[in-house]
Amino acid sequence: MSNPTFVTYAALALSLAASGGCNADDSASADAAESGSGGSDSGAESGDLPPPVECLEGGPTVGAWYLRRLTGAQLDNTVRDLLGTTSRPSDLLPQDEIVGAFYSNVSAPVTNAMVETYMDLSETLALEAVQDLSGLLPCDPDAVGEDVCAGEFVDTFGLRAYRRPLSADERDALGGAYEAGRQLGGFETGIRLVVTAALQSPYFLYHAEFGAGTAQGTVVPLGEYELASRLSYFLWNTMPDAELLTAAGDGSFADAPGALRAQAERMLDDPRASNAIRSFHLQWLGISELDGVEKDPEFFPDYTPALGAAMQRETGTFADYVIRFSDGKLSTLLTAPLSFPEGKVFNIYGIAKPAGYDGTTPIALDPAQRAGILTHPSVLTMHAQSDQTSPIRRGVLVRENILCQPLPEPPPDVNNVPPAPDANSTTRERFEQHRADPKCAACHELIDPLGFGFESYDGTGAFRQTDNGMPVDASGALTSSGDVDGDFDGATELAFRLADSDVVRGCVSKQWFRYAFGRNESLSDACSVATLDSAFAASDYNIRELLLTLVTTDAFRYRPSQEPGQ
Amino acid sequence: MIRRTSFPNIGRRSVLKGLGAAAVLAPFVPLLESEASQDVPKRLILLNGANGTVYNNWLPTGSETDFTLSPILAPLESHRDRLLVLGGMRVGSEGPGQGHGLGYATQWNGSVLQNDPLFTGMGGASGWSNGTSIDQTLAQSFGDKTAFPSLEFGVQHVSNRGMISAGPAQPIQPEDNPYAMFDRLFGDIGLSPEQLAQVRAERQSVIDVVKGDIASLDTKLGAEERYKTQAHLQGIREIEQRLTLDTTLPDSCTAPDLGDPLSIFEIVQQNDMVPVISRLQIDLMVMALACDLTRFTSLQWSRALSPWRFTWLGIPDDHHELSHSADSDAPAQAKLTQINAWYAGEVAYLLDALDAIPEGGGTMLDSSLVGWSNALAAGNIHSSYPVPYVLAGSAAGYFQTGRFIDYGDVSQNRLLVSVCNAMGLPDVVTYGDMDRGSGPLAGLV
Repeated sequence: MSNPTFVTYAALALSLAASGGCNADDSASADAAESGSGGSDSGAESGDLPPPVECLEGGPTVGAWYLRRLTGAQLDNTVRDLLGTTSRPSDLLPQDEIVGAFYSNVSAPVTNAMVETYMDLSETLALEAVQDLSGLLPCDPDAVGEDVCAGEFVDTFGLRAYRRPLSADERDALGGAYEAGRQLGGFETGIRLVVTAALQSPYFLYHAEFGAGTAQGTVVPLGEYELASRLSYFLWNTMPDAELLTAAGDGSFADAPGALRAQAERMLDDPRASNAIRSFHLQWLGISELDGVEKDPEFFPDYTPALGAAMQRETGTFADYVIRFSDGKLSTLLTAPLSFPEGKVFNIYGIAKPAGYDGTTPIALDPAQRAGILTHPSVLTMHAQSDQTSPIRRGVLVRENILCQPLPEPPPDVNNVPPAPDANSTTRERFEQHRADPKCAACHELIDPLGFGFESYDGTGAFRQTDNGMPVDASGALTSSGDVDGDFDGATELAFRLADSDVVRGCVSKQWFRYAFGRNESLSDACSVATLDSAFAASDYNIRELLLTLVTTDAFRYRPSQEPGQ
Repeated sequence: MIRRTSFPNIGRRSVLKGLGAAAVLAPFVPLLESEASQDVPKRLILLNGANGTVYNNWLPTGSETDFTLSPILAPLESHRDRLLVLGGMRVGSEGPGQGHGLGYATQWNGSVLQNDPLFTGMGGASGWSNGTSIDQTLAQSFGDKTAFPSLEFGVQHVSNRGMISAGPAQPIQPEDNPYAMFDRLFGDIGLSPEQLAQVRAERQSVIDVVKGDIASLDTKLGAEERYKTQAHLQGIREIEQRLTLDTTLPDSCTAPDLGDPLSIFEIVQQNDMVPVISRLQIDLMVMALACDLTRFTSLQWSRALSPWRFTWLGIPDDHHELSHSADSDAPAQAKLTQINAWYAGEVAYLLDALDAIPEGGGTMLDSSLVGWSNALAAGNIHSSYPVPYVLAGSAAGYFQTGRFIDYGDVSQNRLLVSVCNAMGLPDVVTYGDMDRGSGPLAGLV
């Protein structure tokens, strides 16, 4: 399936790099645009090429495997489900790394300080856990004997903590920790040290996946517990539940694609799926940090970080509703004039909260003003400045995250002075300098016309018809999109245009891939991406179907084979 | 996600109050009472800056030894004879990355960012730093003499794209939480010898399990991924080594009496708490040095593109946005001057604290070297020349301080070489992979 739109963008990116209009030193995006040869998994956009013909005939292929450390959110959810704690380890850990739009600890090694923090966390969590010893243990030490019960605990807790059965050596090692603890302080200390050790084990802190069974060409199928773990972290952002662990142990995943899809269907119907859907959309739309943003009180006196948090929740709830309860379609996500506001978000929309509204049913919005996620207050507030809007940030969001067309960074020593809020001009008028200066124009032609289309929404997402007393002009233009170029008037019209775009559909598919695997797709993932794209199209762009298909792809079921210690 | 809730038990042992440095440190007996300054270990303290400065209001006027401090540097007046103010410094800007991200990373390592389309280490298509910051170079040479090779402090940094790098693609994030840092450094103080022995025995048992698991995971990994398990193992070994120390602290160290812990929100998110957190971290950093827990520290206020709103100065603007004001915007430049002067005031507080500790015939400030930099020269054009650098302390008499030197146009890598030479690595002649010259900065000794 050829993608002529990408050829257009690639040519543009190359010419930009060559002309130095954008930063010519930043060759990375030019490389990504250019590389269609070489089998390296360099993370080049998979829209570079049609899928190789071998995809249909040869064995599975999959991109590079990385040892990924649990993200802060994953760790928080995992200790919640493993121990029942409400404490959040992410409060004490550094920020996660970011790959594209998504948190993924895939690259940097841990620091000494991090290892100490993991130690401190594990000691505290273990101490808390043994306060309810009978709730923690699978047996009664008084009934079966302390050492016997400890052995059972090591087996059952170890299975859940390591997300797979322990090896004999691991059982002995944790048993040794129990024995040492018992000698130091008795049975409870022994149990506490087992928990402390398990929480610091790299098998707990990292997603350790090595495959099981026979290699098939260049790949090896993942083991059943590894698949269970992938399913739960993808769809629930947490450790496998008892049902998944049982299924992993009793051969249920033998018929992998069918079993995986069946589990995914169960999991998508479970409330825990809302967590992952929420998490994806906050990251994809770049609004994860909105609850920490402050605005200039002179311009937005009613805005607080708490309102930002409410806006985040609205977006998560809306996305979850569309995907799991409504028709599941991308077009609905992008265009539906309804949402789930709470509290002061109603004020942003300028509508009254209905009496007795409990947040579980959608609120209708004015379709002339609102269409899907791009007109959510969360998106419009995050992608704005503290004292005004930002056509730049909104344009960049659409270009990079919705169209999957990365932009180079601003060139050095260029006057990056956004125009001051000027009582005598509109935002559009003030940003016109981007067109005037040729060093700026080449890139900003890709950004500003998109971003101006959002000028009907102020810096906290409220609809407005005047900007400094002058009428808002929200006309914009989509350029170099490939398949949906053209003028538009306002973000609602833009949303409908994007909902009809194959480029956007391909981008959404890729973004879910990146979220699921914590890495960019590479040429070796071309088959998996093609499978996703086909299923997405065949379902009339149903996101639920996309997710169900994702767990059956080669990328999900395999990893590259390797020689250990090679 | 922004962290909001409190993690229980952090600060469970002791907590810092925002007392003045002198009051906090009063109980400390001088750690090293040797008269000869050569016996006193040299300390390095690196400080960052973000969003550039207002150079005309930063640069002193006058001659090398008879100079007048600028409005931004005025808070450092009482320490003028310990200062080296360096004009005309050019930081390299080669390779991937741009602007705030590149400049922030290169403040103290003079190296490029890695080109990594997979991964947006410092933002955009650039990866992590390809270099080693000078504090880490020193920690790798001399860090085994103390309980911690180095310590990294932050004030609402909330990022993993900082200025401290232990090597290519080995970022070290600062600790933003003074209570967590306190627990790390002084957490076992209140324990009796029997309790301490129990804690250590428990930790050793746990470490034995963890080391075994790291080793087994390591053997299963491909060669290109093993650096992760190796780094994890190194972290465990550092903890293990500290378990065998005779005491956690020298006998002359006593922890001050402290108050109630702040919430995670107040510590890492609430903008208006910045001045409080800054002082807590400076106090803690000086205590860590005074107790010889480490000899190489850094403090990062905020991060690249710092969004701080200096409300306590009456400035409501986002600092990054303000830094993108035109040079001709006099009110904005006045605000930026005020902001940078506030930072100078924090530096002055640090110098006061170091100077309050007698040692080696002088004070800890004399035996230390404080380096204060910025990610950029001017925030609005993302320039890397002239970037403001200030040194304070003579590194035990190595530098001739009390001077203002305008170099016109000189590479920052020369300064990095000078610092290495001053701190005990005399054979270093180049530093960082953006170094196109060699030798130290002229005129400092």
